[in-house]
Parts: sequence; structure tokens; C-alpha cells
Amino acid sequence: MFRATLAICGRTVAKRFISSLSGESALPSNLRLPPNLIGVAPQKRAFPSSSDLPVLRRCEADIPAHLAPAQTWLESLGSRDSEPLGVVDLHPDVFSVPLRLDILHAVEVWQRNFKRISHAKVKSRAEVSGGGRKPWNQKGSGRARHGSIRSPLWRGGGVAHGPRGPSSYYYMLPMKVRVQGLKIALTAKLAQDYLHIVDSLEIPTPDPHYLLDLVKHRQWGDSVLIVDVGDEFPQNILKVTEDMKTVNIIPAIGLNVHSMLKHESLVLTLEAVKFLEKKLLWHDVRYAPLYPFKLPYSDLP
Amino acid sequence: MSASVRSMSLTVCRAATVAYRAFNPATRSLRSRGFIESTEEFRFVERLVPPSRIPTPPKHEGPAPSGWIPPSATPPSLPYMIRRSRMHNVPVYSDIKHGNQHSTLLRKIEGDIWALNKDVKEFLLGLTGKEPPTQVNEITGTIRIKGLFDKELKDRLLKKGF
Repeated sequence: MFRATLAICGRTVAKRFISSLSGESALPSNLRLPPNLIGVAPQKRAFPSSSDLPVLRRCEADIPAHLAPAQTWLESLGSRDSEPLGVVDLHPDVFSVPLRLDILHAVEVWQRNFKRISHAKVKSRAEVSGGGRKPWNQKGSGRARHGSIRSPLWRGGGVAHGPRGPSSYYYMLPMKVRVQGLKIALTAKLAQDYLHIVDSLEIPTPDPHYLLDLVKHRQWGDSVLIVDVGDEFPQNILKVTEDMKTVNIIPAIGLNVHSMLKHESLVLTLEAVKFLEKKLLWHDVRYAPLYPFKLPYSDLP
Repeated sequence: MSASVRSMSLTVCRAATVAYRAFNPATRSLRSRGFIESTEEFRFVERLVPPSRIPTPPKHEGPAPSGWIPPSATPPSLPYMIRRSRMHNVPVYSDIKHGNQHSTLLRKIEGDIWALNKDVKEFLLGLTGKEPPTQVNEITGTIRIKGLFDKELKDRLLKKGF
């Protein structure tokens, strides 16, 4: 309890100092945090705001005239202490959309429930064994009138309105709503400083401790989701993430809102950013489908 | 003796089958029947496949012959911005509920929505003489106005350059 209060105090102190000392290092030098402090507030590296930094990647798609691209650092996984390589541009219609938490909630709930098939089934009075015969005469016995010993009123009888058989909870949200959910999740990750862009997933050793140490040193959070395009990944990163529960790697087609919310931090490669921008921006300029998009069109993304 | 007779009859049968297949016009291969296989004509199929993206309209200086007015190249210097729809039209729509409740919906608003609300109210006050009730939805970026004003609002927004 004392450690928790110390953590909260440390965090609030750090927050106050972050707000007052903008641009410099977040915590003052004479602040001594105890070594067993849980959850030190992450020291935010100042977001690239100056326009003189060379931009290493520009957006392929056209950006609307009234919007400016979002910018963030390009990092490298090569060594634990490597500095950011530069600044990359991110399309504002994917990474700075208005944060509709209701859409995010709807997409998350849909993702959980549309696959659900509940197998709960109980026997009704017709299915319970026995109960075909009237237990006693209608009149004369002095007992209540009954037609079968398996009616829902009876102990051992069937259930009147119970769950009936495998039932599905399948429904589909409109495609554009699901796409907007992805965009909002990406925007939220960027806004909360949990999005990291990486040039490639090459790491020097297949040692899991290297990656854990890197994540801890850079204060990326407790869990990391790594996203890359294509079916070939470097062997080292695959070996490292194979047995780790908190650091996971997925291809870019597998990106979904639930995974993004489950993992604290999101790491995208430059190719993954290009792929996501292409796929997500197409939905803003497409026709309504003449026939399902599974069939060929001349210019699908 | 019987084995050699049997093998001889088998070879004769096989030869007869091959000869039959070669000379019967229905079973000869396409090339031997005088046809040429080619895949270049597939372009006639490919050009029938429709596009999935809405094309950007060609550059017009001023209104197009159909009456469509392009958005201005530089966005107007106002605290709000109204984007065009995906078909490049101004996002002002009229709505009816229960056959008698008319309203106008203004969508795709970004920036200071309350400034636009004040602007719209002033404009409609000058137009009709009374201020229509409006409903501002900050989260979705929409304004719903009581009454049918879609033509007037569309013209006003086009004049402003949205």
C-alpha cells in the first residue's frame, strides 16, 4: 500500500514537473526515486515540433490542404541505446482522426461477440425423460392438478425458457465503421505516446532478454505489439517473440482493435505504415460495392 | 502361345485407339485442329472490370457546365472547415421525420463547430427573420437545423469556398 501511494505520489509529482518544464527532461535532477518504485512515469521525449528536422518518410497519398501530417520519431531496434534516426510523416486521416470512443467501444464489443457461439442447451419438458402420463386423476385425490411429472413446476422437470441449443451472436458492423475503429485506435496510440515507428525488425541476437531490456529501457510499456508487412520476418525476432507472452508479432493484415487495446505499446515498421495508410485511406474514396470486394476490381489497394 | 496372341491383340487394340483418337475430329488436340491459342484478347475482359475508386474531377476554373462548383484550392481562413463528400459535393442534406418535421443536416464539420453554428444562425436570421433552433453534435461534427434550408446553405458554403 505504501509502495502504491509512493508510486502515485511519484507519478503526480512527475506529471506536475512535466507540465512546467516543457521541452527539457521531464524529471528534475535532484529528484531521487526509490529503486523499488513501481511504474515510474515515462519520461516523454519531446515530440518533433520544429520544422527544420529532415523528414525521412513522406506520405504517398494526398493530404487535404487544411491538415498537416502528424509527425513522430523513427527508431531502430539495432541496439538498446540507439538514438532515433529521424522524423517520419504520418497521414492525418489515419493517425489524427477525431477520437470517437463510442465507435472504438462498438468495434471492440463486435470483435468479442461476433465469433461467439454459445453451446448452452437445457432440456425442455418435452425432452426430459418420462412425464408422458398424468400422475394422478384430475379430481378426487385432493392434490393439485398436474398433467406430467416433468413440467417446469416439478423438481426434475424441464426448464421453461432456458437456452436452446447452440446459438450464435453473429452480426456485422458496417465496413466503414470497422475501418474507422482501426483509424481511431491508431490515433489514440499516437496521441498517448504509445506508437513507435521502426525502420526494420532486425535485432542482433535471438536472446529474449535483449528485447525485454530494450523495451524496459525505452519505457515502451508492459506489453508490445509488433506489426510488419508480408509473410517473411527476420528469424531473430520470431525466435524472441515465440515464447513471450507480453511481446507479440503479427502481420499487418492481422491488425485489429482488440489487439491494439490489449497491448500497451504498438510498434510499426515503415512498410506496415505504408500498407495501413494505403488500405485505410482507400475506404474514404471508394464507391459502394457493385459486387463484393472479394471479387476482382481493376484498382483494389 | 495364348499369351503372345493376347499381347498381340492388346497392341492392335491400343494402336486402333490412338489412330481413332488422332483422326476423329472431336478428340484431336486444339492445335492439331488448326486453332491458335492466344491470351492477348484477355484485355477485352480486363477493360470491362469496373474501378473501385471515385475519380477526382478534372480541373475547372469556376463552375462546370453541369453546375458543379469545385472547392477553392486554398481552404478559407475561417476557424472551421467543411469537407466535401466522397462524391465531391457539399455535405448539406434535408431530412423529414413523420412526414411533417423538416430539418437540414450539415455534416463533415471540423474545427470550431460553435463558430459555424453562430454563423449559420446569423445567416438564417437575416434570411427568414427568426433564428431557427439548431442541434450541435460536437462528437460527430454535425449541425441539425429545424426547417428546410439546404439550397440556401449550399449556396452560402459554395460562395465561401468550401
